[in-house]
Formats: sequence, C-alpha cells, structure tokens
Amino acid sequence: MSGVLTMGSLDPAFADAGNVDGEPVVLDLRAVEFVEPAGLCGLAALLEFLIPRCEEVGIALAGRDVPAYLERMNFFRLFGNRVRTNADVASLEERRRHNPGTLQELINFHTEEEIPGIIERISEILENQGYRLRERVAICSVLSEICANAAEHGASSFGAYAAVQAYHHIVSGPRRRGEEVLIAIADGGPGVRETLARNPALAEHTTTDNDALRHALEMGVSGTGEIGRGGGLALVAGIAARSGGSLSLRSGTGRVTVYENRKNSRNVPEFPGTFVRVSLPRTPQEKTPQ
Amino acid sequence: MPEERAHRIFEVAGGDFGGKLMVTRSTGRAVREALEETLAALPKGGTLYVDTRGVELMDYSFADEALGILASRAASGEYGDRHLVLVEEDRDLLENVEASLRQRSLAMIRVDEVGGEPAIVGEVADHLVATLQTIYDAGSITNAALAAKLGLNHTACNNRATRLAKLGLIHRRIETAAPGGRQYTYERVV
Repeated sequence: MSGVLTMGSLDPAFADAGNVDGEPVVLDLRAVEFVEPAGLCGLAALLEFLIPRCEEVGIALAGRDVPAYLERMNFFRLFGNRVRTNADVASLEERRRHNPGTLQELINFHTEEEIPGIIERISEILENQGYRLRERVAICSVLSEICANAAEHGASSFGAYAAVQAYHHIVSGPRRRGEEVLIAIADGGPGVRETLARNPALAEHTTTDNDALRHALEMGVSGTGEIGRGGGLALVAGIAARSGGSLSLRSGTGRVTVYENRKNSRNVPEFPGTFVRVSLPRTPQEKTPQ
Repeated sequence: MPEERAHRIFEVAGGDFGGKLMVTRSTGRAVREALEETLAALPKGGTLYVDTRGVELMDYSFADEALGILASRAASGEYGDRHLVLVEEDRDLLENVEASLRQRSLAMIRVDEVGGEPAIVGEVADHLVATLQTIYDAGSITNAALAAKLGLNHTACNNRATRLAKLGLIHRRIETAAPGGRQYTYERVV
C-alpha cells in the first residue's frame, strides 16, 4: 500500500474481500500517510462489507497523523465499536474536545431527506473557506446529485458514506500549486449495472459493468426509463470536466473516469455497490500550460 | 394589445422548502405541489410567475421535479388555460432548468423581472421559433395576419400556433364574430 489512501490503493483488499469466510481479518494501513475522501469512503464501504463476514475486523495504523485525522473525520465514532485498532482512540478524542474542527466529517446517510441538511453544512464550510457562490453551487450540486443517486439506487444496510475535503494544493496526480475539492460517495446497493438492467430498453448496454457505467454517464439514461430521469450524473460529469477535474464512477468490476476530453475505462476488483469520486480543481489560473 | 389577465407571483426561496439551496426530488416535489395549488387557484387565462431569483442552488433533480414535471403537466393541459412564467436572470442556475426542459422537449417563458422582456428557456423546435417571435413582436395577432407574415397557409399557421399554445408559450383566443366564422387570435403570455 502506498502512502496515500485512495480507492485504488484499496484494490488488493477488495480483491481479497470476496474470499473471506468468517476468519478474523486485519487491514494493514501502516504505510498510509495521507487519506483522501475517496480512500475514506472506500475504507468505510470495505469495512461494512467485511464486518458481517468476519469474526473480527482490525485495522493497523502507524504514527499519530493518520489516526488523528480519522478521529477528526468521525471514523472511530462510526466504526470504533465494530473494528479493533492499535490506535489510542481515547486520547485522540480527548484532544479533539479542545480543538473543535471546521472540517466536514465522514457522513453516513440513508435517505433523500437527509441530503438538504448535508448540502447546507458543506456550503457553509466552503463559504467560510472563501469559496465564491458560483464555486459553491458547482460543488454542492455535484454532491447533492451523487448523494441522491446513492439514496435512491443504493439502498443497503449501511446506506451510503460521503466525504468532502477542500485542499490548498492539488492532490490528484502530482502535487502542485492550486486548490482542489474532492468529493467521494460510496454505497452498498445493487450497483449501476443491476439498476440499469431494470430498464429492458438498456439490455444491450448492460452486458458488462463498464458498458453500464459508460452508459449511465449519458444524458437521460436511467433504470426507470422515465423521461426527465437520468440527467444528474451526466451534468455532474460535465461540471467536473469543465473545471479541469474528473469524475470516476465505479461499480462491480468496472471503473470509468471522465476528463475534459477523454474517458477511461478499466476492469478493477469487484466493488460491492457504487462509488463516485469527483475532483474539482479551483480554476482559472490552473489552465496555464505545464 | 393582449388583454389584462390575472397573475400571481410565487417566490420559491420564500417558502418553507429549503431556503436558498434547492436540492433533491423530494424537495422539488414539495415545491411543485405548492405551485400546482397556486396555479389551480388562479382564474382561467391567468399566469403564475415562478420567481426563483432568491435561490442560490438548484440541482438537476430539483429542477426536473419542480419545473420539468410542472411544465410537462401544463403542456398536457392539466392546468387548463393557465400559464407559467419563470422569473429568473440569465445565470448558471438556469442550466439545470434548461437541461430538464430539453430532456422533455419543453420550454418556458422566462423574464428577468415581472414586466421584463420575455425570453425562452428550454427547447422550441426550429420551425416554431419564428412563429413565436412574430406573435411576441405583435403582442396580439389573428391567424390570418400571422399566416400572411410568415408566408404560410392558414392551416399550417394554425398548427404551429396551436403547438405553441399547447406548450403554454402563448395564449390562444377564439373569436366567433369574425366574418367567415371562427377566427383564432394569438397573444403573448407576458
């Protein structure tokens, strides 16, 4: 595992997760130095998958920064009594009491009705960080559409996890100057292919997970086939691409990433649900040639 | 000039729906139901101004549920001879309204403020744009006069204007007193 906890860095763990059969499992995260929202949501989804299938799930962490960050993200309050860890959670909690954060914590939600409150909180945090109305609107409408998809199509025992983080440098790819907002959402629902397959008109687009993902990113494609449906994800991908960022959609063994002028698909270890990661760099000064 | 008609203004950000951040289909449904109630209370021929200027964010799901479905029901005649006009400036917020209406091949009249110059949001078929423009330029025009201006026969002209009336973009009035029987007159909504 590399120093950054991303969705991709969890691939080996997801590949193995399908083979667990009751025995205790420990996720070794000792090499992690930095956790991005996608890694946090991915980890949450992975743990939700493992916990009911294992006698005991542990996570091994090293140093102070990563455990402290996970604590600030509310991670141990969501998972503390369900996973074993070598980190001294009690002392971290004690420290936080004197240091109230302004960050958005890992969000666990189940229904559409919870979304307006989530959006309001994120909008407030972004406003406090100096994000202008136009930028907040772009970020929040991305978040609300993906949350709504997760709440509507992703019905699962744990609902969905969302994480948002604004950075004062670019974290996607090589670190460089600029700012970037990362949004990630993971649910444990039936996945994109199964959802779209409910619409018989889409039969020829749902033979593989990657086919289904590519098709889900087209305007007006939905599992119900109702007119007006299936616009959210296409518009969200458009917002991300226009900002010079990207949108990654992952479900089953497929993963599609949309950039401004290209789209990548690749086969990945099975993800039990749907996962979305959106990168929104803060422009316009980002457009300078490199 | 067009007749004076009843109108009402509905401020979307003014209600108890979510203030300035309008997201999700369920919020959109609540707003649509309130709009439908206001619309039903209007006299026939009336216009409902849907004022979204106080809204900061409207996601696609909200826009489709509140305005896309509302426009679709209006176009199918569900609200009788009552019209919808969007009060909104030309800003980013319109993108999701535009996307929803285009998905549905529908359009709405938009004004910057009540009494402002009308514009279109959504999709109007190319061949109808000139017809719409001519009716708005005239304010009120008979089918015969419109047909002459557009160089169309009366039936073709009537078909186009009927389509625009069905979309809720113009008023259509029947005058029976005209020599030769029925005569349609088309009027701008605002």
